Amino acid sequence: MPFVFAEATTPQGKPLLRIHVRDEVTITDAEALGARIEDDGPNHRWRILSVVEKGTEYSPAARRYFPNLQPKYGAIAVAVTSPIVRAAINMMMRLTGQAPNLRLFSSEAEALAWLDQLEI
Amino acid sequence: MSVTIEGERVDQLLRIIVAAATGDYELRVPLLEEDDDEFLEVELGVNYLLEELALGKAKSDSQRQQLEVRAEELAHQQSELVQALSTPVIAVWPGVLALPLVGRVDDERAATITAVLLERVAAERATHVILDLTGVGAIAGNTMPALLRMVRAIGLLGASCLLTGISAPVAQQIVALGAAEGGAPVRALAQLSDALALVLAQKGALGR
Repeated sequence: MPFVFAEATTPQGKPLLRIHVRDEVTITDAEALGARIEDDGPNHRWRILSVVEKGTEYSPAARRYFPNLQPKYGAIAVAVTSPIVRAAINMMMRLTGQAPNLRLFSSEAEALAWLDQLEI
Repeated sequence: MSVTIEGERVDQLLRIIVAAATGDYELRVPLLEEDDDEFLEVELGVNYLLEELALGKAKSDSQRQQLEVRAEELAHQQSELVQALSTPVIAVWPGVLALPLVGRVDDERAATITAVLLERVAAERATHVILDLTGVGAIAGNTMPALLRMVRAIGLLGASCLLTGISAPVAQQIVALGAAEGGAPVRALAQLSDALALVLAQKGALGR
């Protein structure tokens, strides 16, 4: 599974959806995330930490789907070390347009610190 | 923003763009983790664009194939409809068939008309066939003999054939072929209604 979901808390104890991402992310995976953060989903408007492995790819359908999710999450911090994956996420962010509640980080600790200081 | 890019990366990107411009969307820009710069996003963006173009082309090809299949189905249906409309044999009275012809009659159509009409004459044991040519604009040069052969064939089945609505050019064609002088048993009347009245009178139907 390209997406492995886990419900956790931030260092300051705020609800956190942690997603471990690898391989090729398809529309099915993207929709599984969408279902979690829908209005009636269990993680609606939560803080999300997405840890994306090197070599992860996004299918065209998944790339088109992700921008629709923006109003459904509180904030997403993406921890990514691969320049190629970072470029891919940057491309999707360009599709989204203004996305102040989505930010890329090179380490998980930085990502969590940002999520913790956000008022959602 | 200022980015220094190796010439090889730019050349590679251009080669792939040129290939895409000629309809080849299968190539991809090779991405390297060590190329950690702004240009990497451009290269990735080109790959994404190529993927979208390939998907669009596949979808377009699929739709074109579906349209071709549908066009073939419609052409077949149209052909069947035209064939049915080109030989509208009507039983106007028991034993009396009428065939109003419309449009141009060529060899192929004449052959279809002959086959359909002879089958109906035999099946319904028709005594009279009224062939109305009012709507016939022209008869192809070699087709008139085929129609006159049909008239003779109807006679061989024991039915009489009456032609109505003959235009001046068609009349000249018939005369030129000698059909009106005993070559074939052609009886002509001005209108379909005249022929029908004549046939019904012969059958004694009008006196009932």
